[in-house]
Amino acid sequence: MKNSTLLFRSLIIIALLAGIPHLFAYATEQPTPNVAAATVDTTTTEPTKNDFILGNWKVDYQTPELTGAIIYTIKKEGEQFTAYTHQYADENGYTEQAERTKTLVITQFDGYKGKGTYLVAYEGKKYEIECQIDMVDENTFKLSYDYYGYADVETWKRA
Amino acid sequence: MLEFLSKNLDWVEVDYWFHLFNDLSLVYVFIPFFLFELIRYRYLNRLTKEVVYDSIANVITIFAFTLIEYVLGLLFLTKVYFWVHQNLSLPHLPLTWMTIISCILLADFTYYWDHRLMHRIGIGWATHTVHHSSEHFNMSVAYRFGPLDGIFPVLFSLPIVMLGFDPILVLLAEIFVQNFQALLHTEAIGKLPKPIEYIFNTPSHHRVHHGSNRQYWDKNYGGIFIIWDRLFGTFEPEVEKVRFGIAEPLNSVNPIKVFFHGLYRLWRDMQKVSGLRNKLLVLVKPPGWVAAQQERTK
Repeated sequence: MKNSTLLFRSLIIIALLAGIPHLFAYATEQPTPNVAAATVDTTTTEPTKNDFILGNWKVDYQTPELTGAIIYTIKKEGEQFTAYTHQYADENGYTEQAERTKTLVITQFDGYKGKGTYLVAYEGKKYEIECQIDMVDENTFKLSYDYYGYADVETWKRA
Repeated sequence: MLEFLSKNLDWVEVDYWFHLFNDLSLVYVFIPFFLFELIRYRYLNRLTKEVVYDSIANVITIFAFTLIEYVLGLLFLTKVYFWVHQNLSLPHLPLTWMTIISCILLADFTYYWDHRLMHRIGIGWATHTVHHSSEHFNMSVAYRFGPLDGIFPVLFSLPIVMLGFDPILVLLAEIFVQNFQALLHTEAIGKLPKPIEYIFNTPSHHRVHHGSNRQYWDKNYGGIFIIWDRLFGTFEPEVEKVRFGIAEPLNSVNPIKVFFHGLYRLWRDMQKVSGLRNKLLVLVKPPGWVAAQQERTK
């Protein structure tokens, strides 16, 4: 078979196999919320049965970077819940007001399970990591994620 | 259907399915099937020490190959893949079933060309000949790898990353293709129904690929699909009984000899020709080029 035929057939196959998913992605494109740049919607929203997740939540960390706890405030913004850093507490219990940083956006939550984006800063870079929420009880939930093999589960307790 | 194909998926879910097929299949398919093949060998009075030592050598080569892969991966391959994904890629594709299916098809297509290249250039054959040098054909041969077998696929998978596919997905798809292809290394399964034999690579097609019979050389390179061979003129059906192995038999089950004999033979061929240009040509010309040159000189 001539080299030109091999090349032509290969190019057609590549164009088809790579083009179809791009066409699909284009045709079904949903606006990806740019969570980092999203503006805070302060308008009042209708209360729902899942609003029990609102309020302050404490997470203990035992890592080389941080030994202590962070208290987050979960607020409702439109249809989603957003967690902001509220307070730091060191291992001796001393607390310090935290700069208000958006850390978690829960896009889906049915009262038992949820999905969202965990916004992590590490070594100067910001990462948006897909995460899952699993309620243990009304005062505890597990936040889990797996970022290219780096997996972790955090326990969030009502503060 | 369109909704299903374009639904955004979680990495955790996708990773789980690939883990099930790529990693755990060793436990629920490969090891049980290899034990079945050993019993079959025993039943046919073909279970010799040579078969056992050959199988052990095969397993040792996969450990050596994996070690090289890990070192290369840690040193630079992972960084190259992610750099290309960030800087030289088309818009990144969302993680959907459509993306996954396309990625597996592309991985299978590039596997065909990668495999064909390894057979048709000296440096490629120097490493891939390890896989073909066994005179047996069982599941353990699927794990008989050469020292550079992990390098060549990089040349073909980077373009997939450039097309917008996530590097991790490309890697998982490549392992999936490799695993499917590994399943074909058996004499215990005859020909399958015609429609399957027409579309998919099967044990029969792959026996041909491992044949040292002259008409079977450089045929049936496909991974999952045999249609690539049909499209690119390298298909050959299994007619004559296959003799497994390579044209110049290795006659050894020593794992070190098995692992390095291809590179040694390449070096030996390079000594046979004079001039830097000719020595470099040995690396990129098809296997047998040196012998042909010598024949012409005579």
